[in-house]
Formats: sequence, structure tokens, C-alpha cells
Amino acid sequence: MSTQGKVTIHKLLTGVPGLDEIVGGGLPEFSFNIIAGAPGSGKTTLAHQFVFANATPERPALYFTVLGESAIKMLRYQQQYTFFNPAKLPDSIRFINLSQVVLEKDLGAVLEEITTEVQKANPAVVVVDSFRTMVRQPQSDMDLQSFIQRLALFLASWQATTFLIGEYAEDELRDNPIFTVADGLFWLRQTTERNSIVRKLQIVKLRGQASVPGLHTFRITDAGIQAFSRTFGLTARVRNPVGERRLSFGIPELDKMLDGGVREGDSVLVAGSSGTGKSVLATQFIAEGINQGEPGIVAVFEERPQAYAERAASLGLDLDTPQKEGKLAILYLRPLDLSVDETMQSILDAVQKIDAKRLVIDSLAGFEMALSPGFRADFRESLYRMIFALTGIGVTILSTVEVDESFTEFPFSTYSISFLCDDIIRLRYVSIEGQLRKIMVVIKMRGGNHAKDIREYEIMSKGVVILGKRLTNYQGLISGIPVRSAHSAQEVEPSHVTEIEKQT
Amino acid sequence: MISPSESRDLAHRLLAWEANAGEAAEPAESISLRVYEKLRRRLCILAGVAGFHSLASRALTLAKSEAPDLAAVQVAPDGSLLGLGKPDVQIDIVGSKAGEGETILIARLLGLLLIFLGGALTSNLISDLWPDATLDDNIAGNGRKA
Repeated sequence: MSTQGKVTIHKLLTGVPGLDEIVGGGLPEFSFNIIAGAPGSGKTTLAHQFVFANATPERPALYFTVLGESAIKMLRYQQQYTFFNPAKLPDSIRFINLSQVVLEKDLGAVLEEITTEVQKANPAVVVVDSFRTMVRQPQSDMDLQSFIQRLALFLASWQATTFLIGEYAEDELRDNPIFTVADGLFWLRQTTERNSIVRKLQIVKLRGQASVPGLHTFRITDAGIQAFSRTFGLTARVRNPVGERRLSFGIPELDKMLDGGVREGDSVLVAGSSGTGKSVLATQFIAEGINQGEPGIVAVFEERPQAYAERAASLGLDLDTPQKEGKLAILYLRPLDLSVDETMQSILDAVQKIDAKRLVIDSLAGFEMALSPGFRADFRESLYRMIFALTGIGVTILSTVEVDESFTEFPFSTYSISFLCDDIIRLRYVSIEGQLRKIMVVIKMRGGNHAKDIREYEIMSKGVVILGKRLTNYQGLISGIPVRSAHSAQEVEPSHVTEIEKQT
Repeated sequence: MISPSESRDLAHRLLAWEANAGEAAEPAESISLRVYEKLRRRLCILAGVAGFHSLASRALTLAKSEAPDLAAVQVAPDGSLLGLGKPDVQIDIVGSKAGEGETILIARLLGLLLIFLGGALTSNLISDLWPDATLDDNIAGNGRKA
């Protein structure tokens, strides 16, 4: 060890899935932390998960309980979680009740009791639950401040990582000495939005390392707390450089319109009204990926996976075999009371599980509608974070979105999410010669020289087929009600063909 | 769910282990009182004096309905027992009715632990207090169902 080197602060696993990412890789060893929040927000469960993840017979955890929830009832409930390992009690985890000392004596006696037990056990982790009940009626502010200072100093000197659990309101953040002394402050919030409970976690403070700022959704399940980082756990992964590889749709004419295909790592939006073939195009995109050896994920919200696969089969696309081979996963997500982050985490887990290179979200409207109303406010922001995170590691995303057909406007999306996309393909109906026909145009392609052509296409038995000629004999195609052009009476070759021919 | 007969069997075994662990020079203290005291000290650390007092009072109330000889017994504020402790070293724990009230009290206390903490944690607690004791899997495995 170099005597001139900076001190290395070891990081302890939190035992909470997703939380290590949020706190910057783990909790700093020997830190003095507060877990604050309202009753029922998961404070005790969070502390238990940390304790069970770190306590050993050699360096046990001391869990001091004070007034409030009785230790017996706490253990009764906590052992229902899967992380609770009864074999760790009492050698690795020891519960000590301080109620009597708190009730009958002063804070000095409490400190003495904790000191005695810590010196006896040499713990790696110390929890005081609930610290708030212990100091609810201090004799004076100075008493409390002195007590906290001495407790923090003592526990740090004894190389213990400490959690004080307390029921605090947010307006108590100011002028409370405990928050000044603490190295880490974890704030758990629980709010009701319409019929849904929304749980959010914030690392208000964490000395020694950078944590992910902001509010992170968390959920309490049979496995305990699971946190969902706003960065979806992808910040630690090496970002892939933007590739030059082009991904095919399996539709040669469309690939040509896209200057050879979708650039790997792009986010593509396929927008169109109902029946224009958005899902068909998306299915062809994912199926072509499977053909090219690129595993894929399809997240569907409006139909079940089997129906999705059957519809693909009707187009001659086999999605059953790649599913069995682990090259494709079709996720049916009807989250109802799940947050958008949790839903996106399901997608991310699937992407990482099969190392997917292509992801289809079909559709964004279905995705948003599947969320409970309370979470919809976060939809765009969370979607932005997920797309940014996934495309950053080289996953190419195709999202479909339904737009209202207008014969006076040409909207790309009713969700104002165009900024999320590198490429936009717009499908729409046009009225030509007494028929409702379909046209396709590449609106935008970031960093690519896409075709400017408006092409007619049809949905046939093998999927989307772009018809051979560029429509030049109509004006106002994108209005949906074109008029025949007076100066041209025929269709011409697509511009990209003539340009390529010119180059050769 | 642990049945009353199973928790009584467990109580019998604890009393037997404690009797075997006893030393000749030890005061002629009730074996059952020693078992109770071991449990009390350990549980007061875990649950606090008040927490243990509540459990012990409930156990005593339940035991009194089965053992009238416990009628005069009370739980002191610190959780210790008042009115119990007459020497019963000579008692045949398995076969005799003498001292049966204390056994029932211990059994009821253990039964409450099994109900509230479950078999696994109760088993760990007993193993911690009586390291040489061995519990059958039935007790340890009953925790989540208890």
C-alpha cells in the first residue's frame, strides 16, 4: 500500500437490487447514514436488506430496536421476505432492545449501552431503529447534538457502517443536527396518486462518492425493496461507439430509402394511423434481425405474445422458433399499477438477458395507456432515459406510435416524442383516384442521407411491399388529398436509384 | 402449526437438557425456573423487558387454564416469575405430574415464540441458549407455518 496514495473507501453492497447503481457502486464503508421517511415507506426493510447482505459471524450486525415496532413483530414480518435468512440469527445478526434504557434513563445511558454492546461484538453494521423515537424529547438541542456527534465518532472509530432510522418530515431537513453529521441521507417517499401508490427514493446526501441524483422509483415485493435507477443501471456499462453498420428491415426498397438501413444504435419512430402497417413493419424489422443473428425483444401492449406471433406467421415470419431458441422475447406488459421505470426495467432485463440488438416497442400509445394515470406524467422523461441508455450500448430501438390522421396536418406524433428519435418513418393514407392508398416517407434520419421520396406501399401476404415507382404526378400527397399534377403525368424511378446510378 | 403437544414436548426436552447441564453445587433452584430465566434474559435483550413481560403474561394466562397449581404465580415487572421456584430436582419430568404446571408454562411460552417468530428463529434462539441441544426438523421447519 502506498503511503502517499489517497485513501480507498470500500463500498459495501446494499443488498437492494438497483440501489448499488444509485449510490455509485455501493455504500461507503464506515459511513454514518440516516434512512428517513414516513411510516410504511420501507425504512426498516431497507436496513434489513443491508444487514443481511453484510453481516457475518466475524463482523456481525447489531440491530438496536427502541420504542416503536417491537422486535418480535418486526422479525415476524421481516422473515416473510426472501432475503431474510434465519440462519444468520443470532451469530451474524443480533437484535438488542433499548426501550428500557430510553424510557428510564437519558441519552448518555443510551450511548453507554450502545458503546458496551459495540465493544463486545465488534460489529460491521449498526442499526438503530427507530432513532427518532429515541431522541423525540431531548433535554436540549445541545444534548442531542452532543449525543449524535459522540455516537457518530464512536461508531466510525469502531469501523462500523451505521444506519439510523427515523420518521422525519421533509421540512425537518433544515436545522436538524443529525442531518449535518450524517454522511448519507436516504429519503423514502410514498405518495398516493389516484388509485396507485408511488414509492420514490432519493439520496439526498452521500459523502465520498457520486450518487445518481433525482427521485428513483422503488417497489416492495416478497424479495424486499427493489430500486429502479433513473439511469436503469446502464451507466456502469461501457458505451458502444456509434457504429456505421446499417440494419436491414428485410425490405430492400425501404433500406435504400434509409441510405442502406437503420444505423445501429439509432432510435427509430414509425408513425402512422391505425391500419397503416406500423406493427407489420416492426415485425419485419425484428424478424430480419433474427435472420441476421441479432437477438431481439418485442414489447407489446395491445395484444398477447401468441397473437403477435400468429400474426407474424401469417406474413411468413416465424417468431416461435427464435423464442424457443432464446433469440427473441415477446414481452406482454400490462403494468397497471407499475411505474414506468419498473416497466422499462422489465424491458431492460429482457434486453440484457438475451443480449438483444434490436428492440421493438409496439406501441408507445399502448405503453402509456397501460400505465396507471399517476405514472403517465413521467412517461416521456422515463422513455427518454431508457432510449438514451439503450441506444448508448448499441441497441437499436424501433417504436411505433399511432397518430391521428389529418387531412390538413402531417403530425409525426401526438406524444411530442420526435426529439427522442434519430429516424422517423411516416406512414399515412392518401386518397387517390377513388382509393385509400398508403404512402411512406422518411421524415428524418440523423446523420444519414435518406431518400426524400414519397413512396406508395401495400401490405401484402409477405408484409410491407414498397411499390416500384415514386409518385411524381401528384401534388400535396402529404395532405392526404393530393391533386394530379398538371406538368407531369407519370411516375418516375425513385430518386435513390437514379442517384446511385449516377454515381456508378 | 405447532400443536400444544409438540410445544410441550419441546419444553420437556429443554427441561431435560437443563437438568443434565446442572451442577451439584448449584443452588436447589427449580429447573423450570432456570429454563424460564434463560429464556427471559435472552428475550429481554431481543424484545425488551416490556416486550418479554407481555409474552410471559400471555403464556402464564394460557398455562393457568391448564394447570391450576399456577394460580398464585405472577409475572414481575422485570419479567421474572413470582411464586414459582420450589425445588423440583427430584421430579421425574417425563412421568410425574409434579411440576407439570411449570412445564406447561414453558411450553406456552415456547408456543408463543413459535407463533410469532416461527420455527427457524425459535430453533436458533434455543440452540444459542442450549448449544448442545438438538431440535428435530419439525420444529425448525414449522417456523413459517406457525
